[in-house]
Amino acid sequence: MSGAVYGQLRSRKRNRRIASTITFVVVVFFAVLVLFPIWWIFRTSLMTNAEIYRYPPSLIPADWLFSNYEKTLQIFKFWKYLLNTMTIIVPSCLAGTFTATLCGYAFARLRFRGKNLIWALCVGSMLLPAMVTLIPLYIGWTRGLGLHDSYLPLILPYFCGGGAFNIFLIRQFIMSIPRELDQAATIDGAGYFRILFNIIMPAIRPAMIVVALFIFIGLWNDLLQQMIYINSSEKYTIALGLTNFKGQLKQDWSLTMAATCMSFAPGVIFYLIGQKYFVEGITLTGMKN
Amino acid sequence: METVSKAPRRRSRFFLAEARVAYLCLLPAFLGLIFLTYVPLLGVLGISLTNWTGLATPEFIGFDNYIKIFTTDPYIKDSIIATIYFAILSVIGSMIYSLFIAMLLNRKIPARGFFRAVFYVPYVLPAVAIYVGWSWLYEANFGFFNYLLSEVGLHKVLFIADSSYVVPSLSLISVWLAGNLIVIFLAGLQNVPIVYHEAAEMDGANGWQRFLHITLPSMSPIIFYNLLMSLIANLQVVTPALALTNGGPGNASRFMTYLMYDQAFVNYKLGYACATTFIIFAILAAFTIVLFKTSNRWIYNEGGDDK
Repeated sequence: MSGAVYGQLRSRKRNRRIASTITFVVVVFFAVLVLFPIWWIFRTSLMTNAEIYRYPPSLIPADWLFSNYEKTLQIFKFWKYLLNTMTIIVPSCLAGTFTATLCGYAFARLRFRGKNLIWALCVGSMLLPAMVTLIPLYIGWTRGLGLHDSYLPLILPYFCGGGAFNIFLIRQFIMSIPRELDQAATIDGAGYFRILFNIIMPAIRPAMIVVALFIFIGLWNDLLQQMIYINSSEKYTIALGLTNFKGQLKQDWSLTMAATCMSFAPGVIFYLIGQKYFVEGITLTGMKN
Repeated sequence: METVSKAPRRRSRFFLAEARVAYLCLLPAFLGLIFLTYVPLLGVLGISLTNWTGLATPEFIGFDNYIKIFTTDPYIKDSIIATIYFAILSVIGSMIYSLFIAMLLNRKIPARGFFRAVFYVPYVLPAVAIYVGWSWLYEANFGFFNYLLSEVGLHKVLFIADSSYVVPSLSLISVWLAGNLIVIFLAGLQNVPIVYHEAAEMDGANGWQRFLHITLPSMSPIIFYNLLMSLIANLQVVTPALALTNGGPGNASRFMTYLMYDQAFVNYKLGYACATTFIIFAILAAFTIVLFKTSNRWIYNEGGDDK
């Protein structure tokens, strides 16, 4: 009897091992599928145009023509675009993360009149699609404040709370920190800002990094607003520069792909740096929605 | 504990200080909400009732813009259809894909962190670069996908240059980009108590039954969240049209936000564009409301605890 149970358990264990092997194979298959387009773009960026058009296409370039990148850089002012993009992104990330943290702290920990009203306004704006306010904001920034061909309309909104979603995220995160920590600090005579800076902020670092990454990705991807606010090619961001470059070089795929790969790089680097915090932060915050 | 025994006056001053700090913290966000969200929202409504072109002083024309959009606009119908088509394909595709991948990654496999990073990578690449890059894969003669088709003996397809393929082709890219959904699903799956699965397994439930009766119900709040976020994001799709298709071929990818962009920033019909914006907003709101209304029917809340 017990031998039969034991045998059953053993066969179940064997089934499990087979199942996990299959799982692993499937995961590898999909991972290859996901990475394949990126590889295809990259290998194209290292080929001559003749090699690109050869049939059947090869997976690996015959010579790794890194000189394509030098050629691309003569037209595609990557470093300048990167600098311009960073001029928008760095202040936005810092200010957005900071103001979102201030708000999250107020909502999570402080008691004040009108809390429910402001919270409702905040949550309401989360459900309001960003494209709705685009035209009035454009009119306000350019007509109202005279900010033509300027980065400020892209940056300044991040000085105003960094977006409702990010405030929400920080608030949820702060609420998961035991209040005893602040209470102990209060007893020791620490003020609200001391508590925020010395206790809350170190504890919610993963959430702050996630918020910074979200703001980074948001700006990184936002072609529409960059298109309407930035006019002169001097001020082009990577997104604008690449769109423009593609229009110029309709047929030169290897150079276009080289420009594409260069544009990939900063996001990947930023992600690799923040990855540990990122997954940790999402795992903790994603749960609280 | 300390403050409880304090005299009422002290206590109120204590609260006053707390409130002052709170208002100070919230001031930037409050200004932002008022001037960058709610005032512009009213602005859309106001401008939509005028014939403003950005040059002459706007005149109040009542609902003329709305009437014109519904009766004579050559693009609005195609635009709404294209957007909803794109959003439905993308949302369904990315939900299935990301839940599937998340469930695979939730099992004990080697190098799980590495794979999680791999599936997330597309999401951190700049959107424009992704569309430009994929346009090469979709290229009519030498693109990778056409190479595959010719290998299996099928005719070449123009993908983004063919009005009947452009939306599915762009949707595939947006499924590929769904790495953020995977991370959120994965976080949710890790919270499903393993005891449930073990108990069901004891009772002889197979993998599919456990998926239907344990995984799906316990994941339903997160499925709802991902569904909502991905629907709102995909209904606002604009970047592929701006970077790649310019709304074409024909009007096949003239997505609603692109239509609005075109009216406002290419043709400078600001009043008209605001009316379009408001209609788009109404459509988005309708989708959101329907989703919320139906949600309590299929969201499973464990003991009513949704915190």
